Amino acid sequence: MSREALQESLSAVMDNEADELELRRVLNAFDDVETRETWARYQIARAVMHKDLLLPRLDIAAAVSAALADEAVPAKASRGPWRSLGRLAVAASVTVAVLAGVRLFNQDEIAGVELAQQSTAQGLVAPQVKGPAVLAGYNESSDATGPMANGVLQGQPGWHDQRLPGYLRQHAQQAALKGTESALPYARAASLENR
Amino acid sequence: MRSIPLLTLLLAGWFVVPAHADEAQDWLTRLGQAEQQQSFHGTFVYERNGSFSTHNIWHSVQDGKVRERLLQLDGSAQEVVRIDGHTQCVSGTLIAGLGDAPSSAARALDPQKLKNWYDLAVIGKSRVAGRSAVIISLTPRDQHRYGFELHLDKETGLPLKSLLVNEKGQLLERFQFTQLNTTDMPADRDLQPGDDCKAIALDSDKASAAKVAQAWHSDWLPPGFELTSSTARKDPQTKIQVNSLMFDDGLARFSVFLEPLNGAAVIDTRVQLGPTVAVSRRLNTPQGEMMVTVVGEIPAGTAERIALSMRNESAASSKQ
Repeated sequence: MSREALQESLSAVMDNEADELELRRVLNAFDDVETRETWARYQIARAVMHKDLLLPRLDIAAAVSAALADEAVPAKASRGPWRSLGRLAVAASVTVAVLAGVRLFNQDEIAGVELAQQSTAQGLVAPQVKGPAVLAGYNESSDATGPMANGVLQGQPGWHDQRLPGYLRQHAQQAALKGTESALPYARAASLENR
Repeated sequence: MRSIPLLTLLLAGWFVVPAHADEAQDWLTRLGQAEQQQSFHGTFVYERNGSFSTHNIWHSVQDGKVRERLLQLDGSAQEVVRIDGHTQCVSGTLIAGLGDAPSSAARALDPQKLKNWYDLAVIGKSRVAGRSAVIISLTPRDQHRYGFELHLDKETGLPLKSLLVNEKGQLLERFQFTQLNTTDMPADRDLQPGDDCKAIALDSDKASAAKVAQAWHSDWLPPGFELTSSTARKDPQTKIQVNSLMFDDGLARFSVFLEPLNGAAVIDTRVQLGPTVAVSRRLNTPQGEMMVTVVGEIPAGTAERIALSMRNESAASSKQ
């Protein structure tokens, strides 16, 4: 591989424009000290052009390799740093928990919306199942298993089966009794009774 | 000098926007008045997921007395008769013997208050039931309530159509007149309750209802929602006392039901029925495990948060 081609690839990598082949080429050549020096020079040149902060001759890769090579088994640290590290860990896990909580909460909301979507989807699908036209002899109550047959209440075991219809009814009726805006709450309450 | 036209433009914009909001507010005020002043009768449809029904309404205002009768036209003949906002009788399965707390007289729509929680705007014109209408949108300012789209009759301010829309713009329910007559007074016989219309029984124990309101509070409520009533009633079947609290923000409502579990093994649950969500969460109290159920026309996430925020304050309450 020619030196020039490699330098071009290096330049491309630096500008974040390298394709996979070039990146591979550069990585393969990176064990070579000369390549690393070229890379460092390019970095300096770019830093100067961009007037960036410059840390010349900072060969981290070599330094890290060296450090790893003569790394001893870490001695047990004294309590002080560990305690602060522990605190940090607690803080971090709290943050994670909060973030997770927020995420969960949002997911809940999304799930709720999906529920609404599913419901609308069901609503759209239902007429197709019933056929193109609802015949006069068609009895809607015949296949309804309860007040919530078309809702999502089906499959809820026991306790909720007994309570939720009552709760929904009481809520709707109480709202209807208040009767602030038009006949809407009444219609909602009535719609719960249509078996 | 170039700044002058720009300034005028800015100023014009400044004046136009509130004017728009004010117009919507005026329409809502008209809506509130219309139901107190306008006699009408007509037919409307109500549609939500899994349900479509048609109803007749007769509404008469005479000497300041508002009489109203509603009758479902398909399926069972659900009926309600109201005088001055107080329910006289209900029919069929609508009867459930609920507590009508003394303070629960109808509250008028308050646009000033609604403005805090919804963006009010006139967004266009439409035609409903053969009448011209103006469309008012109530867009929630936070994620804790749904949006409304109201089509108000240009002539009278009556609501001809009302849509409930979630944050994704999906339609949750539709209320819409198909025919409306505002010129003729409804006949007296149309306002008479049918034979099946039974007077409602007020079986809520008022003293314990007041105690419920004191004993329970919520650590968190969506902004703008206030307690409007509380009831304490014994379930006729289970003989267990169920307490409930109702909250509203002037438009949207939710109820919180509190029932002791008495050792029953119950899982938390959530269901959605058209616009209404029901969320149940267990809660440990000094009296044992309770089930907190939030039911209302609010987003599920909000209902969930409310359910998790209910707290029992006095250990002596609900010990019955």
